[in-house]
Amino acid sequence: MDNANLMRLGRKAEEQEYTKRRFKFSAFDFTNYIVFIIIALIVILPMWKVIVDSMNSVGVYQFRFWPENFTLDGYRTIFTTRKLFRPFMNSVVTTVAGTFLGLALSTLGGYVLNQYDMPGRSAMSMFLMITMVFTGGMIPEYLVMKQLGLVDSMWILVVKHGINVYNLVLMKNFFEGIPVSLIEAAKIDGCSAMGIFFRIVLPLSKAALASIGLMYAVTIWNDYSTVQIYITNPDQVNFQYMLRVMIMDGDTPTTAYKVSQDTLYYASIICAILPFMVAYPFLQKYFVKGVNAGAVKE
Amino acid sequence: MSIFGKKPVETLSNGSQVNQKSLKMRIWNNRGFYLMFLPVAIFVLLVYYWPMLGIRYAFYSYKLKNIHWVGMGNFVKLFSEPDFWQSFTNTLELSIIKLLLNTFAAVLISVFLNEMKNMFMKKTIQTIIYLPHFMSYAVVAAIFTLFLSPSSTGFVNETMKEWGFLSSSIDFLHSKSLWRPIFYLINMWKETGWGTVIFLATLSGINPELYEAADIDGATRLQKIMHVTLPALSNTIIVVLILNMAKVLNMFEPVFVLYNSRVYDVSDVISTYVYRKTFLTAIPDYGYSTAVGLFKSVVGCILMLICNQASKKVRGRGIM
Repeated sequence: MDNANLMRLGRKAEEQEYTKRRFKFSAFDFTNYIVFIIIALIVILPMWKVIVDSMNSVGVYQFRFWPENFTLDGYRTIFTTRKLFRPFMNSVVTTVAGTFLGLALSTLGGYVLNQYDMPGRSAMSMFLMITMVFTGGMIPEYLVMKQLGLVDSMWILVVKHGINVYNLVLMKNFFEGIPVSLIEAAKIDGCSAMGIFFRIVLPLSKAALASIGLMYAVTIWNDYSTVQIYITNPDQVNFQYMLRVMIMDGDTPTTAYKVSQDTLYYASIICAILPFMVAYPFLQKYFVKGVNAGAVKE
Repeated sequence: MSIFGKKPVETLSNGSQVNQKSLKMRIWNNRGFYLMFLPVAIFVLLVYYWPMLGIRYAFYSYKLKNIHWVGMGNFVKLFSEPDFWQSFTNTLELSIIKLLLNTFAAVLISVFLNEMKNMFMKKTIQTIIYLPHFMSYAVVAAIFTLFLSPSSTGFVNETMKEWGFLSSSIDFLHSKSLWRPIFYLINMWKETGWGTVIFLATLSGINPELYEAADIDGATRLQKIMHVTLPALSNTIIVVLILNMAKVLNMFEPVFVLYNSRVYDVSDVISTYVYRKTFLTAIPDYGYSTAVGLFKSVVGCILMLICNQASKKVRGRGIM
């Protein structure tokens, strides 16, 4: 065999070795897959059991992949019983209102904090930052809300989450990524500060608005402790509170309903996570989008 | 020279011109922005600053409408209360162990998820393990209360009886010895997935040349994890731990949704103690509750300063 042939053979062997190493599905990979499938199942299976049992007319302890005696009575009960439906609507109303208020205030604040030639800008941002470090605490806050007449009212949820300084800063970072040239061009065309805000800045920030809006919505929808602290009137509580009272304190006259207690409980759990479960695929996308958009600067 | 509307202009040495408006002029020009900031300022004053004034009640006795000065009286009472010290040590123990467990699990999962080559699989698993983060503590507590319940439909008890591990049902959440492990497990179930976000972001920033170099030197997968991946993560791990240490005393909801009067000894934390003293007492002393809150904030502040120092030592800059 001559030298050239030898070299060719050698190179071929090298290539084969390389391919083998790249695409080798080792024992390590195999174990890794198995372990992660188990982890995913640990997360998914409890939720699956909740979904199945919410549609099963008798409470069973066993894990089933599909309801044995299918029924939607659990959900029907929630949406036809005033005691349960009222909290659900309270949750919807406060979440929608709070999200809009939160978005309005954080876009306004974030936009103003970006005006670097405005006198007093750093004082204003200091004014906001201080609240991230110092707070009055649970009791002084309660006393203030009492004076404002918000104790025993569901609007406490809107007021308390109406402004989140962290979200405001995220919004400001996002606005910083909008090209200055666009705003300059609008200014030259005679657009006012308000006009620039509504016609240029906001339409360009849809991704950030979606992701920050979802952050507000999840916070308000999921808030249980505020209701626990401030509200005792059963007409004003939200669904999270109702769920907790129902399951932990067993405070349900289940005999009044035509479904088994467990079916009702599991259906309530599903209702308490339903809105975000529906929004989750979008939420994840917008979360990533918003964060990336905020990070890139001109 | 300068008449209305004409801007006074300063010429720099290089010939370019800079607007030199008077302060009054600049304020007037930005009037729209001040107006836009007004609602934000009102809200922040109302929700954040006004309650800060209420901190003064820590030095008063405040029962019903009756407010009078007691000086350090509330703090003297506080320090002699065994229930308070119980809640203080519980808070430190519960939240620090929770923090360490969650961080450890998140690091472990991120490192091995990073080894997964199939992108579809990786994305799917990420999507799944992020899910529980978006459920409220009330929902998570509800799910696990039902699963762990000693009734005939409690999944854990009945399954373990069926498999012969148990002879009679255990009331998990009412048991002093089992409450804490269950608390840690439930918190790991809920927050570990979301905790990986920051570590995975760090891992995606590792220079691939480092892995190629390790390949050429003949390193195995585990060696690459030990000598490339983990060192790259160490800084992030320290940052996460330090940032969270500063707020370990704030824990309320995770405990509140799971605890009950039978396990106060092992589960009562400062915030739940304040809650009970204020809202479950017939005639609450708001002054005393505020004092507990103030003490918590002061200790929290000290912890934050310590963490800031630690952060400066480790990374050369503070956390703020």
